[in-house]
Parts: sequence; C-alpha cells; structure tokens
Amino acid sequence: MTDMSAQTEALGSLLTRDRIARWAPLLVLVALVLLFPFFEFLADLLAGKEHVYLLDSRFFSIRNGARIGIAATPALMVAVGATFIIIMGSIDLSMEGTVSVCAVLFAFAFLGWGGTLASWAWLAIPLALVVGALLGFVNGMIHVRLKIPSFMASLAMGFVGTGLALLLTGGDRLRVEDELFRSLLTVRWLNFPIMCYVALAFLLLAWFIQSHTALGRNFYAVGGGEQLAQSSGLNVARVRVMGFTLAGIFFAVGALLAVGRIGIAETATGNNFMFVSITAVVVGGTALWGGIGGVWNTLVGVLIVNVINNGMVVIGLPSYVQDGVLGALVILAVALSTNRKSVTFVK
Amino acid sequence: MNLDRIKPHFPWLTLLALVCVVGAANPAFFDPLGLLSLVTDVVPLFIMALGMTFAIYIGGIDLSAQQVANMVTVVATVYLSQFGIGVAVICVLAGFLFGAISGFVTTRLYVPSFVSTLAMGFIALSAAKYLSGQRALSMDVTERNTSFGWMFDSTAGVPHQLAIAIALLAFAWFLQTRTSFGRALKAVGSGELAAVASGLNVDRVKILAFAISGAFAGIAGLVFSVKLSGGDANLANGFLLLAIVAVLVGGTPLTGGVGGVINTAIGTLIVMVIRAAMVYLEISATQQQMVFGVVLIVAIALTIDRSKLSGVVK
Repeated sequence: MTDMSAQTEALGSLLTRDRIARWAPLLVLVALVLLFPFFEFLADLLAGKEHVYLLDSRFFSIRNGARIGIAATPALMVAVGATFIIIMGSIDLSMEGTVSVCAVLFAFAFLGWGGTLASWAWLAIPLALVVGALLGFVNGMIHVRLKIPSFMASLAMGFVGTGLALLLTGGDRLRVEDELFRSLLTVRWLNFPIMCYVALAFLLLAWFIQSHTALGRNFYAVGGGEQLAQSSGLNVARVRVMGFTLAGIFFAVGALLAVGRIGIAETATGNNFMFVSITAVVVGGTALWGGIGGVWNTLVGVLIVNVINNGMVVIGLPSYVQDGVLGALVILAVALSTNRKSVTFVK
Repeated sequence: MNLDRIKPHFPWLTLLALVCVVGAANPAFFDPLGLLSLVTDVVPLFIMALGMTFAIYIGGIDLSAQQVANMVTVVATVYLSQFGIGVAVICVLAGFLFGAISGFVTTRLYVPSFVSTLAMGFIALSAAKYLSGQRALSMDVTERNTSFGWMFDSTAGVPHQLAIAIALLAFAWFLQTRTSFGRALKAVGSGELAAVASGLNVDRVKILAFAISGAFAGIAGLVFSVKLSGGDANLANGFLLLAIVAVLVGGTPLTGGVGGVINTAIGTLIVMVIRAAMVYLEISATQQQMVFGVVLIVAIALTIDRSKLSGVVK
C-alpha cells in the first residue's frame, strides 16, 4: 500500500497542473501531426490501396512540411509580436491594419526607389519596420495616455490602419516582382525557402528580447502583477508603450514576409492575421491574463493552427470548416488555461 | 459648469451641431425626402447597434455581431422559399442562439467577451460559408415580394422599414427601463461585484444580454438581406465598426452602466450625418473607415468611466 501511494505521489509530482499546462500544447501538436496521416492511412485502407503509415503519407512529408512552413511564417511573426502584448496582460487587435499599411508603404517605396533589392530600394525594408514601430507606438500611447482598454484602442487603430491602407492604394494591388526579393520564397536551403530561416532568426531575436533583456523581463513583471510592478518602481506606462512598439515592428516583419510570399501588397494583405495570431498565441499556452507563456509557446501555437489548416485540406475537408474549428479551439484553449480560483468575474 | 453634468447631453448636442454645420454647408440636406431616405438606409445598422448596446451596457462587447448578421443573410436567402415569412423566426433564433452561446462561454468558461464573441463570429462565418457553398446567393424576387414586399411600402409617409426600427427601439427601451431584467442590466453594468453581492443571478443577466445582442444582429442581417435581395458570407462586412461607433458616440461608454438604447438611436443618427457630410465634402468611401476609426477613439476617450477601471487599464 505504501508503495502504491508513494508511486501515485511521485506521479502526482510529475504531473502537476502547471507541468501539464506547460506541455499540453506540444502534445497536441504531436498528436495532430500523427493524426492526419492516420486519416490518410484509413482512407487508403478502405479504398483497398497499399499504404504504410507515415511513410506513404502526403501530409507527413518534407514537401508538405515546407508548405506548412511557408504558410506559417508571416503569421508566426505577427503572433510573436502579439505574444509580448499578451504576456503583459493586454491584447493587440490592430495587426490587420498595421500589416496592411506596412505592406502597402513598403511596396510603394520599393517600387518608387528602384524596384529591386540591388538598388536603393532596399531602404524600403527599414522603412516598413519604422512604420510598424510608429503605428505600434501610437497604439500604445492611445492605450496608455488616454487610458482606453487595449482591446478597444487597438481594435480602433486596426480600423484606422485598414482605412489608411485603402486610402493609399485606392483599392489597387501593388505587384512586387523583384527576383531578389522574391527569393525569400523561391530560393530553398534544405527544402525550406529563405523566408522560413528569416522567420527563425527573428524568432530567436524575440526569444532573446523576452529572456535576456530588461524589457522582456519587464513584460512578465507587468503581466504578473501590474500594481506590484508599479510599486516596485517600474515605469509601467513606458513598458507598455515599448511593448506595443516592439509588436508593431514584428507585425511589419510579418507584412514583409507576406508580401514576399505572394508578391502582392494590397489592403487585403492584413486580412485574417488578427484571428489566426490571437488563436495561435492562446492555443500555444500563453495565458490571456498575462505573465505566462512566451515566444516558443507561440511557435507551437502557430504550428498547431497551420497543421490543422493544412491537414484538413489534405484529408479533404472543405476549407470553410477551418474558421469554425479555430473558433472552437480558441474558446477551449482560453477556458482550459484559466485558473478559476483566481478569477472573480469576466467582462 | 461641471463637465459631469453636461456630459449626458453631449450626444444630442453633437448631433444638433453636426446637423447645423452640414445643413449650413448644404441646405439640400434638409430636404425631407432626402432625409427620410438617409434615415431609412441606416435601419439595418441601427438594429445591430441597438443589440450591441445591451452587450456594452453590461461592460462587455459583441464582436460577433457582423458575422452573425452575415450568417443570417445566408440563412434568410436559403430558407426563404421553404418557410416564407416564417424564415424571420429562424433568423432571430439563430442570432439569439449564437449570442447565448457567447454569453455562456463568457460567464461560465471565463473567456473575456471580446475573445468569446470573436471566436463565435468565426464559427458563424464557418456556418455561413457552409450554408452558402461559398457563393453569393440571391433571393427569388417573387418569393421575396410575397413575404417581405410590405417592408418597402410606407404608411402615411413613414416607410415600414423605419417603423420596424422604431418598434424595435420601443421594445428595447421597454426592456431596459420597464422590466426587472432592465434594472438587473443596470446593476451589472454599474458594478458587477455589487450585483453579485445583492443576490442577482448575474450570469443569467449577462447571457441574456449577449443573446439579445445576437438576436438583434440577426434581425439586422434579415432586413439587410431583404433590402439587397440576397445573402453572402461577407454581405454585412463594415457594419461592426459603425455599430460600435454608434453605441459609443451615443453616450454608452465601454465601461457600461450608463446610456442605453435611446442614446444609441442618437448615436446612429450622428453616424448617419457624418456619413452624409462626407459625401457632401466629397470624401470618398475609401477614406470613411479611417475617419470612423478616429471618431471611435475620440468617442471612447470622451465617454469611458475611468474610475471603473480600478487604476489598471489592461
């Protein structure tokens, strides 16, 4: 008996709530990656075709992995930006507008200054990053100085951004066809296009900011307990504004990769980024209440979202199911990550 | 003069000032027929904003309204031939159901309303795409006219669409001011903890508020789809921003508890006048969204009750 209880105790200490919550997203990702090939296996089995599980899978192949990678990279950058904000316990819903404005201004500058990376047009890249930072800064200032809850301040800024992008383009599409810039997509190292490596580099940068800079630690301090952070002398308003500015820069990177992927900049470039990135962040295990999670969680979350999107296409489910599945997933993820004892009421 | 005392009068003063400015710039604005058609045009938006008022009044938000309306345009178009005018019941129930689920997710699963309604909106989008087969559908003209043709008539100069809007406003006003549910809404909006402490079933009140928001979004979608004689998963896009603006410039702050459905009527008229002004000032449709985004920020900043945010604004 004592042996048993010692065993359960050991198991209990191994499977604490925190530990389960921490690894659950990764387990979900692995399960999904194994699940979709299984559906393929079943389908071929029923059709009487020969199929070796995983080896014959169209889903579980390097080619499809690259496809998922390409689809995921712009969203990953946007979601990483949003991660910093959500760690602070705020939310940013402005990404669709910011991505559109950055993409459109980048394309205008790029085309106007020469149209190829080999000329001065490369300056359009830092320009886009500055524009993203500026939009994020304005967003943060509206949130902090006017004391407007971030979801509403950023939602309104998102509308302004989309309106601005529409104003700049007049509804037109701008084509960015420079081969050097498009090599982001066309040139592959080890089967993956350059854009995946660029995203990886920025992910490492984000991880560095999150874990090894004072600013990154301050995000967690603000998210863990704003009043405590304030009373220990932290300039919370400044941290928040810097957080939104940093997020704006990552949104701009997302915009550049999105343009690199499809070669077109337009008002619709930013479409769908809001829901996908928020979904990815919360599904990855970063709590909406702040203080928990990080950019690696977001990587897992983005992969979960994109594996679902891709896998559903591979096993032949119609594309409209995805929106609904993601919607249900968000509710599930937020509901499961909430510690009900610590929440009094929710608006 | 104390700012807090004149604050409740801001919305109608703004409306009056805007009307005077626009009228002075363009006297043709006062043409009764033109005005009537402007007001009639804004009816679907008004109905959505009316529902949104309930969600904001309790301190929440309903970001699913536009998608629910989109879904209902498809539902109305697909089932019109089968149920005739009875399709209206399905539309309202569909909206009510989506709103109620949002409310349930918010109150029982502790998901903040801006996330729960955003997520429910995508579920509605999925349903709309499924039902429509991802195509733009159109109604059979004779079927539409036999079931809903009366909407385009008018009695004694009042278009029936406007009459619907007024009837819904009266209903919402009755709910808000003359029922115990309305008083409960006020209690929840003014201070949720106090409402819980005084024994109110706060969860039920909130779920019902979101359900009403959804039902009104459904009615808005139905009216809009009858007006345009069709349905599509993107038909009502662009309504969400304007509906939120209408509620907030009307003087129901994001923090809830103050304002109400009459305010939203004024707010919708303000939105209508701004839109009309932009047409006269030759500001193109592409610029309007930006203008309303800025109006939204200003309106929130002016109306929000910061004492309720308990020092920490997240």
